[in-house]
Amino acid sequence: MPTESLPESQETFHDIGFEEIEHTADCALRIFGKNFLTLLTNAAIGMTGLMAFEPSAIPDDTTRHVELAAMDAESLLVDWLSELAYWAETEMLLFHRFELYNVTPNHLQAVIHGGHVSRFKNHIKAVTYHNLEVIQTEKGLEATVVFDV
Amino acid sequence: MISDHDFKQIDKYLYEIPKTFRADMRVPARFYADPELLKAIQGDRSLEQLVNTATLPGIVKYALAMPDIHQGYGFPIGGVVATQLPDGIISPGGVGYDINCGVRLLATQIEKEEITPYLDDLASALYTNCPGGVGKAGHIKLRPGELDVLVEKGANWALTRGYATASDLERTEENGCLAGADAGKISDRAKTRGKDQVGTLGSGNHFIEVDAVDRIYDEPAARQMGLFPSRITVQIHCGSRGLGHQICSDYVKRLQKAVHQYGLILPDRELVCAPLSSPEGQDYLAAMKGAANYAFVNRQVLTWHIRRSFEQVLAGKIKNHHVYQIYDIAHNMAKVEEHEVDGRRIKVCVHRKGATRAFGPGSPVLPGIYRNIGQPVLVPGTMGTASWVLVGTKESMTQTFGSICHGAGRVMSRSKAKKNIRGTRLREELEKKGIRVRAGSMSGLAEEAPMAYKDVDRVIQVVHGSGIAKKVARLIPLAVIKG
Repeated sequence: MPTESLPESQETFHDIGFEEIEHTADCALRIFGKNFLTLLTNAAIGMTGLMAFEPSAIPDDTTRHVELAAMDAESLLVDWLSELAYWAETEMLLFHRFELYNVTPNHLQAVIHGGHVSRFKNHIKAVTYHNLEVIQTEKGLEATVVFDV
Repeated sequence: MISDHDFKQIDKYLYEIPKTFRADMRVPARFYADPELLKAIQGDRSLEQLVNTATLPGIVKYALAMPDIHQGYGFPIGGVVATQLPDGIISPGGVGYDINCGVRLLATQIEKEEITPYLDDLASALYTNCPGGVGKAGHIKLRPGELDVLVEKGANWALTRGYATASDLERTEENGCLAGADAGKISDRAKTRGKDQVGTLGSGNHFIEVDAVDRIYDEPAARQMGLFPSRITVQIHCGSRGLGHQICSDYVKRLQKAVHQYGLILPDRELVCAPLSSPEGQDYLAAMKGAANYAFVNRQVLTWHIRRSFEQVLAGKIKNHHVYQIYDIAHNMAKVEEHEVDGRRIKVCVHRKGATRAFGPGSPVLPGIYRNIGQPVLVPGTMGTASWVLVGTKESMTQTFGSICHGAGRVMSRSKAKKNIRGTRLREELEKKGIRVRAGSMSGLAEEAPMAYKDVDRVIQVVHGSGIAKKVARLIPLAVIKG
């Protein structure tokens, strides 16, 4: 999508924030959002759902501050989710609450809340650009992300 | 979707999608299959992904896919693409995130009947000694700066530290070290992910498997390798862990800009690439080689753990429990090689994404012990089915840039496998067949169930029947260790 024209919000919104879709070798999520901030938030919640056995059981004792800049909305989405994959692998840290602000197609800041877990449902090795496009639909924004697991 | 009338059968096991199929194709796309495998291949988007790779700048001859082809991201898994130097591209997405994911085969002189009473203990020892699962650290604590040495020296680092023998290195692709690796091209984040993971198995489809030789198909080649009927072997399947995943992520991101800079038009952003001669292409190659070297070390340290597990369990019980290496080969890699194209020998960058190098007899890069028989090719099946040892042929050099398949190939998604199969039930079924299972996660086990994969024997028949490899031995599983 053109990086200049991301809408701030949409009147209508998809009923769900994300859904897992079939992929032969890996994992994929179709993600929805009324605007880019919501899309990024739903993407993070969806990815946490892939990694955590029980997302509701993730502790709430750790906070991280994130600031990212990228060349376009798709790259920012990949970088954002890659950040979560990195903390998961290196510190066994998962997050369940995401406060994003100053979000543009090229930049975001966030405070993310979560805690350490002892095991994962899925190990997400990487977030791919495969056929990745943040697209405008009648209901808002949509993107499909394939994860290497 | 690509349908039957979009391709033609040009040989018993070979199909071609002509260059005219899509305007942006630079070469035809070819894939190996039989009628049954063809149905499975058409069940996902892998042929569309294969066609996408036929558009890559600098590609020569054909975009190729092996009979274990299935849908990946960017490249199909089972894909082979060669681009002409100096300006043909190199693609991090074409190598994949698990750089130098590969297979090592170890052999012993132990007979199947001899080991049977100790198999449970051996499986448990392997599970305990070989760290697996997400975020599991290895036993090795690297000194500051030592990871830089490791990625540049590869298996030589393991030799110096006492984790390898000279014979292990001789029987490893490139002697376990790709020259030209540069730790300076690897990010701190990649190093952080990799520093504690040396000698770890990881998760997903990675495994250690104790097998028995079921049948020999090529006795001279098997003898040369040290494979005999009923003897025990061990396979290791894993790669460069978090270090490789992060290097790929870093360069897929960095090269997004290079695509614009060099005016490359790609049908999928995951096919991101840069001319090999460009600074971005050279930097990726140097970093990728570092990850490849890390993976050789990873499998080498796991070999060391396997040897000490055999020692722990079998010392005093089985006289000769020595474990020696047959070969170690990558199946996710890009390498600069010389191949014949249009009657001329030229330098190309061969991307193998879920495909195994399979050089034929006489290749000067093979160790002396294998030069007359061809390169050993190691193709694992699933945890309940056979695995295969083959050798490369002269035909593989002319047809597939010296490449064949890397496994059975998935047909069922992980989510569907988990819905249809219970891990505990699968373990019981495998154990009824006499296959010991040690796994950290039952859902992870369900994802890798045999029914989620194609029939490996059929896949092997296609590569054997098309002449691009020759069967040497079939292995059957006795114990499976998963992270």
